[in-house]
Amino acid sequence: MWKKAIDNLIPLFITLLIVILRFTFPNKLSFFTEVAIFSIYVMGNNILYGYIGLVSFGQPFYLGVGGYAVAIFLAYVGHSPIIALFLGILSGVVLGLVLGPSFIRLGSSYFALINAALCAIGVFIFERLLIDITRGNDGLWFRSRMTKLPLLDIRLPQNFFIFVVIIFFFVLLLYRYMDRSTLGTMFRSLKNNEEKLRFIGFDTFKVKWVGFTLASALSTFAGALYAINFGFVNPSLGENTRAVEVIVATLIGGSGTVYGPFFGALTFLGIKDIVSRLITRWELVVGILTIIVLFRFSKGIWGSIQQYIGVLREKLKLLG
Amino acid sequence: MPLNERLLDVRGLDVSYGKLKVIFNVSLHIDNGEVVVLVGRNGAGKTTLFRSISGFLKVDEGSILYKKQKINSFKAFEVAQIGIRYIPQDKHVFSTLSLRENLELASYSIKNEEWEPVFEYFPMLRELLDRRAGNLSGGERQMLLIAMALLGKPDLILMDEPTEGLAPHVITDLTAAFKKIRQNTTLFIIEQNLPLTADIADRVYSMKEGKIVQETSDKDEIKKLMFEKYL
Repeated sequence: MWKKAIDNLIPLFITLLIVILRFTFPNKLSFFTEVAIFSIYVMGNNILYGYIGLVSFGQPFYLGVGGYAVAIFLAYVGHSPIIALFLGILSGVVLGLVLGPSFIRLGSSYFALINAALCAIGVFIFERLLIDITRGNDGLWFRSRMTKLPLLDIRLPQNFFIFVVIIFFFVLLLYRYMDRSTLGTMFRSLKNNEEKLRFIGFDTFKVKWVGFTLASALSTFAGALYAINFGFVNPSLGENTRAVEVIVATLIGGSGTVYGPFFGALTFLGIKDIVSRLITRWELVVGILTIIVLFRFSKGIWGSIQQYIGVLREKLKLLG
Repeated sequence: MPLNERLLDVRGLDVSYGKLKVIFNVSLHIDNGEVVVLVGRNGAGKTTLFRSISGFLKVDEGSILYKKQKINSFKAFEVAQIGIRYIPQDKHVFSTLSLRENLELASYSIKNEEWEPVFEYFPMLRELLDRRAGNLSGGERQMLLIAMALLGKPDLILMDEPTEGLAPHVITDLTAAFKKIRQNTTLFIIEQNLPLTADIADRVYSMKEGKIVQETSDKDEIKKLMFEKYL
């Protein structure tokens, strides 16, 4: 009973941890806002890599689409950030539904590469093809056109942090629900033994499609939140050189776990923040850490915590 | 469906892997309520035949009729949904999931939550519900696979060498289970275990080099293992 109660409270504990850290380090507001947003982005990639078993080198494309959906709406059409965020999610759902049928037919390596190609095309579209709309590398600014929410003026960074943390909490709850549901079990089984899943009567194509669409929606949602956080978007949000970041964060946190994305995001951004002040090529430390994680802690931070808790529980049981 | 009515009818089946033809003009039938065993040496085409019936391999020529419906072009999940379950030789379960989650998945796919009838065949599974499937023994895995296949009361189960690599006492338990299962479900089994075949089979098809070379339905001939020469 205690175990279940604690288990149910973990999303709340994690959310509180972000809030506590934000007030412990008051000058790190933007960092912890980014941790919450990046966690949602990693959750999307975790569905692909951790649950379904598909590596994508093109996740920044989806991030970029979400960002531009928000930016274009707020810069040219409307003023409501809520509608803009909704459009951000919708863009991911549409991308997932349209691209999914052709992408998920591919094997894992081709899936990774076609997404990388898409990412490169995406940057070209944002930077050159739609330059009249996106304003290319100058970026599309819209903060001044954004209205405040009835209870919260999210144009202010401290309020946007609260807004993002609330969103993060609910996304985490939904993510946990997905993990515990039959859908989550189907995703994991797909990675484990796709053929077997078909033997027992599942249309694995549809299961993958749902997973791909969910992952796209989470990524574009994160992109949309990034856009509102910055108040502008430029093509660098969708650059394929950043594709590895989300994969590394997924691995560090613990792929295929519910809370791994948060720990991965916190660790990755933390290292980037600390090390980048000491050396220019902060990626060196992230690279070394990734190698250590892959060789020594293949389950990642949360996966290892779960493992140690399991061992501890068994030992306590033996002690009576 | 009435007993002895034609459940599965395979006619003139040809199957290839690329340009390599491995099944040649195979015809066979399974009637409702039967236990039919398919024997043959390694490479005879037995597993290929099963994979063709269960929708995993494309058929070049011929037809597969299930309850008089042509199912040649059905995908594997559609074949499972109409009531034909295939248990492959590899004994792969969803190893990272618990036994309960394995059963839940199988239940969900065919929208049937009744586990009790399955536990009557394999009572020990009830005790292992929370064990990780990857930690089950070979015999327990096979029982889980059969249990998953049995959920939703399918009409036909195809089993590819269910006793391969299992301890003799587990084979004895499985044989007893097969005798109970056959009262409700038709079984089509690939088996190299001759005593087991002689014990449970109503008919035996022998396969050699991609062709059906003998059909044995005489009980005495089955008991005398007249098909042994094809092994």
